[in-house]
Amino acid sequence: MLLFTEYVIRGLFLGAMYGLLALPMSLAFVTVGTIDFAVGAYALLAAAIGATVGGTLGAVLGLAGALAASLVMAAVFVLLKRAGHHDTIMIALSSFGLAVAIGSIVLASWGSTAFVRQGLDAVWTVGGIRINPQGPINLAVGLALLAGLTALLFGTGLGRMLRASAVNAQGAELAGIPVVAVQALIFAAGGLLGGIAGLLILYSSGLDFTAGLSLTLSGFAASIVFGVSNPARGFLGGLAIGVAEALSAGYGSGAMTALIPQFVVLLTLGLGMLGAGRYTGYRP
Amino acid sequence: MTSNQTTSVTRRLAIGACLGLTLAWPSFAQVAPLKIGALLSMSGPAAVFGIPERDAITVALEDLNSQGGVNGRPVQVIFYDDRTDAAEAGRGVNQLVSRDQVVAIIGAGTGGNVLAAGPIAMRLKVPLLAPVGTIAATDKKNAFLPWVFRVAPSDAVNIRTILTDAAKDGNKRIGVFYQEDAYGKTGVDVAEQLAQSLGIQVVGSAPAPYTATDLTAQAIKLREANAQAIFMQVSVASLGAGFVKAARQVGLNVPIYGSSGLAQKSFVDGVGAGAEGLRVLSIGNLVYDPSPGEKKLSDLLRAAGKVPQGWGELVGTNGLVAAIAAAKSIKGEITGQSMRDAMENLCGLEAYARGKGCWTKDDHDGWREDALVFTEIANGRLRTRK
Repeated sequence: MLLFTEYVIRGLFLGAMYGLLALPMSLAFVTVGTIDFAVGAYALLAAAIGATVGGTLGAVLGLAGALAASLVMAAVFVLLKRAGHHDTIMIALSSFGLAVAIGSIVLASWGSTAFVRQGLDAVWTVGGIRINPQGPINLAVGLALLAGLTALLFGTGLGRMLRASAVNAQGAELAGIPVVAVQALIFAAGGLLGGIAGLLILYSSGLDFTAGLSLTLSGFAASIVFGVSNPARGFLGGLAIGVAEALSAGYGSGAMTALIPQFVVLLTLGLGMLGAGRYTGYRP
Repeated sequence: MTSNQTTSVTRRLAIGACLGLTLAWPSFAQVAPLKIGALLSMSGPAAVFGIPERDAITVALEDLNSQGGVNGRPVQVIFYDDRTDAAEAGRGVNQLVSRDQVVAIIGAGTGGNVLAAGPIAMRLKVPLLAPVGTIAATDKKNAFLPWVFRVAPSDAVNIRTILTDAAKDGNKRIGVFYQEDAYGKTGVDVAEQLAQSLGIQVVGSAPAPYTATDLTAQAIKLREANAQAIFMQVSVASLGAGFVKAARQVGLNVPIYGSSGLAQKSFVDGVGAGAEGLRVLSIGNLVYDPSPGEKKLSDLLRAAGKVPQGWGELVGTNGLVAAIAAAKSIKGEITGQSMRDAMENLCGLEAYARGKGCWTKDDHDGWREDALVFTEIANGRLRTRK
């Protein structure tokens, strides 16, 4: 039983990373109706800068880099909207292109070396389970951001504008809400959240230039497993996938572990569960 | 001296220099260069090795050309990025041979890509000098084996060397952590095949994809299997560093052996203080404790503004040196066929790496145990074990 508990706890720490990546994806889907596939690439860029500069300054510059990259996506979104392209798939494909471009820039600028930074060395023993503080820190950061995001969405004027823009963009426009500008903010928020995830991964396990798209896929799977209709579900989905992966790695052959996010995506899309709430008039 | 006189002297000097260049140039530069292809993974996951291979081939080419190239004929290397993709590797062979007319190809970038490129190289009659460890690349069952020559120690040699060392230290219960691909799976399969003859037992194995963000579950699994030593068949530095951190975190405090794929600067930098004493088998020790040949290559790289990374540079230049040596030994016209025949008679070849390359009609594995060194991580460096 102790072993099972240990796997579950490890899975929760792992899932917190996925949940963190799921937050901007859920947010973009409920407010703009699209997915920002560059979230994993923002994480990669932040980690690359953070690893190079190091320390607090590295973290700040890493976040600034991720934010700058996401502002490119926000600008693309605004340009597409102004050009009359309202098809959300076009925005999603643009973000995919940006993700590939960021991966290439990282490879060209930093080469193929791994980005790894030493986190905290301490080990706590809780009930016979050895825990490095980095895991609880990751989980705490994820929960704090989730709480902040929920408060922003449901407790502020900006949140109300975001939700109004999502439910009825035309109506919101008529009510004086600058819908496109408000929605563009969501992409910038995605850059910050992705950047934070990248910095936490940098100090947890490390990553290299190939990580961008796989992080995006893990975040996407997490965001849809319990329905993409709200960020809390996305974070919960991340935790669930993390636990499933840890149990699979521990008790299974391990070969299935890497397939779990892809399997979740296929199952969710196959059962037609993606965004059902949103399209039936669900108000986030 | 007036300004007119100065102009006149300058003009004469310029004319003299032009004449000198015109007379001296044809001896080397005007001879048609011998073209060699380099089909490397310069993007995609295997760029970790492909980029250092490319950099080293570039600087070594200049060095070898300055020594006269192939009997006075300059050598030109034409690079092609296989993007760590098997289909692209096949296209690369086609293009390098059909369009660029190379007589030998250093590559492909990964074992899987060599298997994809081999049949095409055989059809186009150009030898592949493969800088890979993948055992299947020189499997005798391959119809294209006559056209593939390995220029790195094979994985079988690497794994046997590691497990022999572990067994010698009394570690009989071995756990294997491996990356989820053909390279990683080979580690488990060969370890299980060798176990009986070495008197060891593989008590558990745990795979992980390249981009895993947490490896504690894998470490717990091997801890629970009561492994006395861990063998990591991993070439992705972040994955290896992540596992070592996870192992220490969950209390898996047993000796850890890293495969030669981890003998990279980024692994040593990433793994940090918790890795003191960790043993890594290495193809040479280019970065931290170079042999005279490796030092020369390291100096060439640094002079070109490159930071030496590890074994990628060594196996890449093994291919270049082997191709030039084969070409030098050919009396008549240098073609793909004559290069292949020459490769089968090349032995005692010294490159920048340690050991000597030797190929025969029946053995296309060029470098063996003498190219390898055991290293230990000490003070953030890979120290060669005496």
